[in-house]
Amino acid sequence: MSWQQQILRVNLSTGDCKIEPLNMEWAEDYLGQRGLGSKYLLEEMDAAADALSAENKLIFATGPLTGTMASTGGRYSVITKGALTGAIACSNSGGKFGAELKHAGYDLLIIEGESEKPVYLHIENDAVELCDASEIWGKTVWQTEELLHAKYRDPLMRFASIGQAGENLCRFASVVNDLHRAAGRSGVGAVMGAKKIKTIAIRGTKGVRNANPAAFFKTVNEVNARMTDRDGMSRDGTIDMVDVTNRFGSFPTRNNRDVQFEGAEKINAEAMHTPNANGHTNLVTNGACFGCTIGCGRICKIDPSHFSVKDKPEYHGASGGLEYETAYALGAAVGVDDIDAATYAGFLCNEYGMDPISLGGSIAAAMELFDIGAISEKDTGGIKLEFGSAEALCTITELTARGEGFGIEIGQGSKRLTKKYGHPDLSMSVKGQEFAAYDGRSMQGMGLAYATSNRGACHLRADPYEHDFETTEITGKAAVVKNSQDEVSFIDSSGLCLFPGGCGWTLDDYRALVAAACDGEWSEQRMQQTGERIWNMERQFNLRAGLGKKDDTLPKRILEEPAPSGTGKGLVSQLGEMLPEYYALRGWDEEGVPTPGTLQRLGL
Amino acid sequence: MQVTVKLFGALRQYLPAGSGFNSCQLTTQANSMLENVLALLSIPESKAYLVIVNDEKINRKDYASIQVKENDEIVLLPPIKGG
Repeated sequence: MSWQQQILRVNLSTGDCKIEPLNMEWAEDYLGQRGLGSKYLLEEMDAAADALSAENKLIFATGPLTGTMASTGGRYSVITKGALTGAIACSNSGGKFGAELKHAGYDLLIIEGESEKPVYLHIENDAVELCDASEIWGKTVWQTEELLHAKYRDPLMRFASIGQAGENLCRFASVVNDLHRAAGRSGVGAVMGAKKIKTIAIRGTKGVRNANPAAFFKTVNEVNARMTDRDGMSRDGTIDMVDVTNRFGSFPTRNNRDVQFEGAEKINAEAMHTPNANGHTNLVTNGACFGCTIGCGRICKIDPSHFSVKDKPEYHGASGGLEYETAYALGAAVGVDDIDAATYAGFLCNEYGMDPISLGGSIAAAMELFDIGAISEKDTGGIKLEFGSAEALCTITELTARGEGFGIEIGQGSKRLTKKYGHPDLSMSVKGQEFAAYDGRSMQGMGLAYATSNRGACHLRADPYEHDFETTEITGKAAVVKNSQDEVSFIDSSGLCLFPGGCGWTLDDYRALVAAACDGEWSEQRMQQTGERIWNMERQFNLRAGLGKKDDTLPKRILEEPAPSGTGKGLVSQLGEMLPEYYALRGWDEEGVPTPGTLQRLGL
Repeated sequence: MQVTVKLFGALRQYLPAGSGFNSCQLTTQANSMLENVLALLSIPESKAYLVIVNDEKINRKDYASIQVKENDEIVLLPPIKGG
């Protein structure tokens, strides 16, 4: 089997680091990564505890396929109670850090308590030590990696770090690994900052064992051969979807006032490929995470003559560029059609450790507050926070990254920000987490998926895309959302990425890889039930944390203001009709609580 | 008669040689139906897509009954997910 069957537990309050056996009964029932990490969180902490307190736990979890030869088998998740949401947080990342953690011999790393002084964790296989972080506290993610690479003289050491945003408890701070991959959502970096742990530095050389390697490699090759539709994703990345959703009318623009962005052609895949008037081309090449045979990542350069970096040569090199979600959040959401400005804001998110989706959503909310006169330049410190202003985007991003001026307010997230200034309806969020790059009016299933997502608004917790593109009729959408939530829960627990599902893989390909990696029979039914068990367990955490039906909702704008254009023109979300059907399909009562029969059926 | 065809995302590979990044002009006979224009693109039947003509979403069952007009803009959107 491909579990390492070991956990590393680190108590920051006592300084104890110990290796424990993995609970294999739980591994059988919850697989790994998202499911298994969430199970440990549910069992070990009081869900009602403050997310930024010592009682919260921070779990880095790999899946059975993490670190193997399976394509995209480099995923890990950070699981905790979210600082942004107060709900269960599970933020998934690629890069090479997850495989390194697995190769060091651990399925899970559980961090508990809190340190009095800044520390970092240094792991080399079985050798584990907590080290003084005074030399790197206050540094960026990029500086941290550079300093520790120089200290340990090991170019293959991998890091998962917070930047100043996490240190400053920005509510949407991320954990960044490998310079520009991130466990971005829900404020997992703020939890790390509250615990005063700057980075996890790992070197692992143990590899991953499998009981039948020949059969495993055969399955890996067979499944990889079925990934037949990856060329477009390799060449153009996810940003290629800008044109698709914009033409469809589901590209949230200016805080969801609009659903189509007139500047989309300046921030799309073609713009990224095409030299500008100075002869500068944004896209340098694509990039891939550990074991990936797609390579959707964008490696980009900002035009050195652009105002944002004109006298800043440190930003003239290539780094992680715009993807679909960042083109939305740092482009359409704030009405900015300047690809260099959006790329610069994205660089800062990686460098200082912030979730670009929540950053863009929070700036967009602030821009609407500014637009209606609820805040003024007096509040923003002189910044004209107008929709479409690239200068404002860059300046407020810098301030948020450093925790200065009005950036402190932005760093609280749109829910707290809009409430403070008397307009809570202007936060485009669910459970306090900002929308991703789809509008819940032209995509009714996505609206339901946002409302019911256990971690707050999210585009990766369900797969209603194809059904939503076919029809805005709500018949069948509750079932599509429910079933795909269970499927995604399973995939997120495997160590694999969701994107092969858009490049030719079917659910059975994921099942085949899990079956080849893990002992026992992994039937379609077991796969579906495992996913359903994970979803309900996450719901249990949220119920214990005080969330419930009242939180399974959408902003007033999506429920009451008709979409102004596109294929969904005139529509509002019909969440009120879909939600009862969804609860019934889930086996939950009218208040959204799993019935005793449902819990018993799932072994919860 | 000329119409503008735009293929986005993974469908771009089916643009005729010499096309722009995501669009081309196609010449078709007067009174052509939408399905006649789509047939010019040689997109495999297994590929799913959504058709929008002049910003209006068209159902598959109507491909054979909708007549295209000079300068129509026909947009084909592939299924997407994630981001």
